[in-house]
Amino acid sequence: MKFSLARQAFALAITLTLASCGGGGKATFPINVTVSGLQYPGLILSTNGQDLAVNPPATAGQDVTAVFPNQLEYGQTYEVTPKGATIANHVYTDGNQPKHQQCAPTLFPAYGTAGQLAKIDIRYACAILYYELSGTVNGLKGTGLILANGSTAGTIGVNPVLDTNNTPTGAPVAFAMNPVPYNTTYGVTVLTQPTNPSQTCTVTGGGNGTGGGTMDDDAEKAGGVKNLVVTCQ
Amino acid sequence: MKSSILRAGVVALACALGLSACGGGSGDLYLAGVVQNVTKDGLVLQNNGGDDTNVVYPYTSFQFGNRVSTDDQFDIKVKSIPSNARECTVNNGHARANYYTIGQISVTCSIKQHALTANIVGLTTSGLVIINGADRHDVPAGTTTVQMATVNEDGAYGVTVLQQPSGQACTVSGGGGANNGTGTMGATETTTVTITCT
Repeated sequence: MKFSLARQAFALAITLTLASCGGGGKATFPINVTVSGLQYPGLILSTNGQDLAVNPPATAGQDVTAVFPNQLEYGQTYEVTPKGATIANHVYTDGNQPKHQQCAPTLFPAYGTAGQLAKIDIRYACAILYYELSGTVNGLKGTGLILANGSTAGTIGVNPVLDTNNTPTGAPVAFAMNPVPYNTTYGVTVLTQPTNPSQTCTVTGGGNGTGGGTMDDDAEKAGGVKNLVVTCQ
Repeated sequence: MKSSILRAGVVALACALGLSACGGGSGDLYLAGVVQNVTKDGLVLQNNGGDDTNVVYPYTSFQFGNRVSTDDQFDIKVKSIPSNARECTVNNGHARANYYTIGQISVTCSIKQHALTANIVGLTTSGLVIINGADRHDVPAGTTTVQMATVNEDGAYGVTVLQQPSGQACTVSGGGGANNGTGTMGATETTTVTITCT
């Protein structure tokens, strides 16, 4: 008698265990997304026919978390990409990126099969876009010209064009400073004037006409600031 | 019997090869790593108190002259730092050598920072914006001093007017040799440029 009671209790325990396993129907998997570094609106992520607009955080610098509207069932594959991106070997180009930024998967792949991992947690990181800052040096005959963008991103040396006799011709020389992030100021200055022969170079062009400016929307549209002119006399 | 002799022979041979490969002090592993924020000569590293190694241009990496063997203890320390560095620290510099640990070594320096101050003279209207590269400052009317972001010792600076104030024209002078607000930050603590508005 005692034994049979125990047996019944055991049977009950098994029933309860089974119910906790599969009683609620099929397991489903939410597609969680965490985006870091997002500063501007416009990012739309897409997978399995669903779109998810991700907006910048209320507090700058914080991560944004979001979940796709529909969950996946066990065994369904997913690949979270910027909407409309071209996909080649799980590398995503173009698509609905935020303004002035480029976001890409980080840490983990953005694709897989539901159930492969206990939790689907897609990670994207966004970086500000950089644009070209370049121009021409005219009349350069001396050596040692060094251009700087203030204290930002290093200095650039420019050498004169030489003819076959190694004589400087003073012909225009193209130069490029290190690229400048969107919405950041730049101010190109002559750090070291050329010598032998000694020359004085001045900077013009850029957004303000004197080698300075901001990498703003107009500059972004033009693919950067390419109209710097350094005149050496 | 035969097989045990063979086995012993193989083991002995393997041991001998292993030992010869190690070579007692000049093993098969290069002790190397990356360096960050080094801009000039002066960084000298040591392993186990010797094998002094200078980090030279372009100051991105180092490699000790003596190789080490697997399981050798290495202990990398900074012997001296460049004159413009505040400090240099070794990361993962103390371990037993193997293919993993020798790939984890790095040295990070921090460069001394110096104040850059802009004195403003004669500014009576609004709208002046001055920059040092990406460091931007709006300067209200009547301002006499603007503290710019600090600058690396031996690093370039170039203060320029991004936007002139309404009705006035400002020019930049002072700083380094060219006297136009640009120069290279010396070891002295303060550098001042002057912006004169008329």
